[in-house]
Amino acid sequence: MIDLVQNTLDGVMIGSSYGLLALGFTLIFGVMRRLDLAYGPSIMIGGYFGTVLYLYYGAGPLAVASAVVLGAVIAGIYVERLCFAPMKAGAAIASMVSSFAIWMQLEQAAILVLPRHTYPFPPLATVAPLEFGPFLVRVDHLIMLVCALALAAAVHLALYHTRFGLALRAIIGSPVAAHLVGINVRTAVLLTFAGASAVGGAAGFLVLAVDQQVTPMFGMWATLKGLIAMMIGGLGSVPGAVVGGLLLGIVEVNSQWYFGPQIRDLVAYVVLFAFLVVRPRGLLGRAPEPAMPPKA
Amino acid sequence: MDDYLIGVLSNIGVISFVALSAYLLLLTGEISFGQQAFFAIGAYAAGIATALWGWSLAAALVWGAAVSGGAALLVGVPTLRLHGLYFAIATLAFAEMVRILFELFRYQISIDGELIGPNGTDGFRNIRYIFDHNIDAFQFLLLIYSLLAAAMLGLLLLERSRLGVIFRMIGQDETLAELQGIPVARRKVLAAGIAGTLAGIGGGLYAHLTTYVEPRIFDIMLGVHSLAYGLIGGLGTAFGPLLGVLIDIGLLESIRALAGYRMIIFGGLVALLLIVRPRGLLDEMVVHKIGRGWRRVSLWARRSSLKPRGNSA
Amino acid sequence: MLDISDLVTAYGKIDALKGVSLQVETGKITCLLGPNGAGKTTLMMTIAGLLHPRRGSIRLAGTELVGLSPARIVAHGIALVPENRLVFPQMSVRENLLAGAYQRNDKVSIDADLKRMYALFPRLNERTEQLAGTLSGGEQQMLAVARALMSRPRVLLMDEPSLGLAPLVVTEIFNIVRDLNRDGTTIFLVEQNAHMALQVAHRFLLMEQGRITFRGMPGQLAEDEVIQRAYLGTRRAAG
Repeated sequence: MIDLVQNTLDGVMIGSSYGLLALGFTLIFGVMRRLDLAYGPSIMIGGYFGTVLYLYYGAGPLAVASAVVLGAVIAGIYVERLCFAPMKAGAAIASMVSSFAIWMQLEQAAILVLPRHTYPFPPLATVAPLEFGPFLVRVDHLIMLVCALALAAAVHLALYHTRFGLALRAIIGSPVAAHLVGINVRTAVLLTFAGASAVGGAAGFLVLAVDQQVTPMFGMWATLKGLIAMMIGGLGSVPGAVVGGLLLGIVEVNSQWYFGPQIRDLVAYVVLFAFLVVRPRGLLGRAPEPAMPPKA
Repeated sequence: MDDYLIGVLSNIGVISFVALSAYLLLLTGEISFGQQAFFAIGAYAAGIATALWGWSLAAALVWGAAVSGGAALLVGVPTLRLHGLYFAIATLAFAEMVRILFELFRYQISIDGELIGPNGTDGFRNIRYIFDHNIDAFQFLLLIYSLLAAAMLGLLLLERSRLGVIFRMIGQDETLAELQGIPVARRKVLAAGIAGTLAGIGGGLYAHLTTYVEPRIFDIMLGVHSLAYGLIGGLGTAFGPLLGVLIDIGLLESIRALAGYRMIIFGGLVALLLIVRPRGLLDEMVVHKIGRGWRRVSLWARRSSLKPRGNSA
Repeated sequence: MLDISDLVTAYGKIDALKGVSLQVETGKITCLLGPNGAGKTTLMMTIAGLLHPRRGSIRLAGTELVGLSPARIVAHGIALVPENRLVFPQMSVRENLLAGAYQRNDKVSIDADLKRMYALFPRLNERTEQLAGTLSGGEQQMLAVARALMSRPRVLLMDEPSLGLAPLVVTEIFNIVRDLNRDGTTIFLVEQNAHMALQVAHRFLLMEQGRITFRGMPGQLAEDEVIQRAYLGTRRAAG
């Protein structure tokens, strides 16, 4: 019982960063109706910016975080310009495959520049874990949770209380109608990509700082976690992304504790598959019909 | 022919099966990131048949194809209601589940004092059939390409047949197809089954070609690559995915000097290509024009060979 | 006000508009009728900037609109109420209306216009915070019209406002169209429901297979001939 609660606590904290990753993903999907497979790798590029700053200039966590965000945004804009902006309306798969090609490109570019298998990242906290009765809470996990919640709140504020947020929600609701009310959709999409990359970058920094390392595999990992959390929570839903992330975190930590790392990954995919077959809209998403990208 | 070339060509041949598998599903309008799962199932099944059960290669390949085809049919049913992105992600989830299951899969028996069989993450070694039966690399290459040729023939005939037209109709507009009286659900499951079988044949061949398979090989990268081949080479004809495989493995494998930059170049080229040709090099328009050109040429050839001795009609 | 000349819009190799020329007079209701597939929606989308014509010109009070982005065209004073309404389903009625005023930043008059819309469309007033996706067809149509009006357009384009609506609701919509015009709005209306359209139009045009085949005033053609050509096209009407 104690284990379950401890795991759930840990799961919530780790899940908060999954939620952030899913948030970025869902914003991009919402405005583009297409999946950006290079999302995780863009964040990884940001991570490499960060590690360079840390390794060679001894920068502190805040500076490194900014570098990660900056790198992710630059990579994100690159992906948007190459894989999404030039594509005509019906070329949904072409965009996705293109983003996959750039995923591979970014991964190899990172390995070329920084060839080692792993690079260090500054820690979020170096104090001992806090104790709440029988439960242990790592301080860096706590910082991650607080930052993630703050970021999610900021995104929510931006979406619901700014003019740009209104434009975004309009595009998500109906791209054609958004054009008709005079929204400059192309610019809005580009800015959304930048914003989503920034959010992803922040999430990436938090995860990497807790892990204290960045590897080239981080790209795929981030994409998968973000994707699974997004689908469970509901495609195109902002609160869904957060909920999906938390749920995924809880399920993962518990699975790993009781059954080991392979079962942990297996369970995540089984949950995803089950959701897709039984309730594709996820927990909080809209019914699939209107939100789908056009076929082939 | 030197060993290196045989190796590259064998690789191209085997991977083509997975590429064709993803292509077939694309025709019906569905994106699959998961055909590598059936490649894996075919590989393991065929490998177990020869290495553990002592079957012949032919029987093993059929077995591998049947198991993967069956698995594809099984998965095809629950995912029927899914479309577009949802279907794509479901295939991805399924493929990863299969991969992880193979990481946990242990089935070993003792043969001549040695433990043979799949051993979880360590993989499945000693699929030595072709060595034990003195089949050299070149002969195996011929086997791969004969099977590939047969598959291609099947696909090309399919494209001209009513079923092929039905698949493309479903790909264009499912509702419309349904209204024409086409049992869309059953046809899609059929397509999934054929696609799975294709990948399974490739998998069986792959296992015997490399004599060693491990779950790590059958990852998302392989899946998305298979999809990409069709998209690069072109979705207008079954030759499209083959062209895509050729371009990736053939061209870039041979530019050894650029090996370290391969993905950077290839990735960039693919992205640029897809901007101008979102349906690949040999897309439907090109194939149509080639078809027209071919008909004109053969009509001209027939007319000139039919020229009578006189000038009368 | 709106002067369209020799407009050609194509989908790939097929010309949907084969050289359309027409004028929409200031302060009047001009109605475009025609069978399905004639190109009416294509024309509307081209004017709104969602489609690019191969050839031809669209002038709004002298300014050329062809080649401009949809956002710029809205800025010049065109607002389209699209076929199928296309409200923002996850946004409330109020937010939909505010979205319509996206390009404006005069907060005080936006608020005044909001109140004006609620007065004009009482059914929307009862549902200001309701999600637009949960409204009935008729309410969504009114929302779409109100949203378009929030940008204070010089020309209001309407693409098949009666589509899929019950007859009583259709009458309501057309009454609103008449009222808007009385207040001075220039309206260019595309319709399948020839009967209702002819009751409000000052001028009407018939479009068949991408060309304008008749221009005139209601009463110039016998109503049943108009209806026949609007639904079936000339060939069958003559035969």
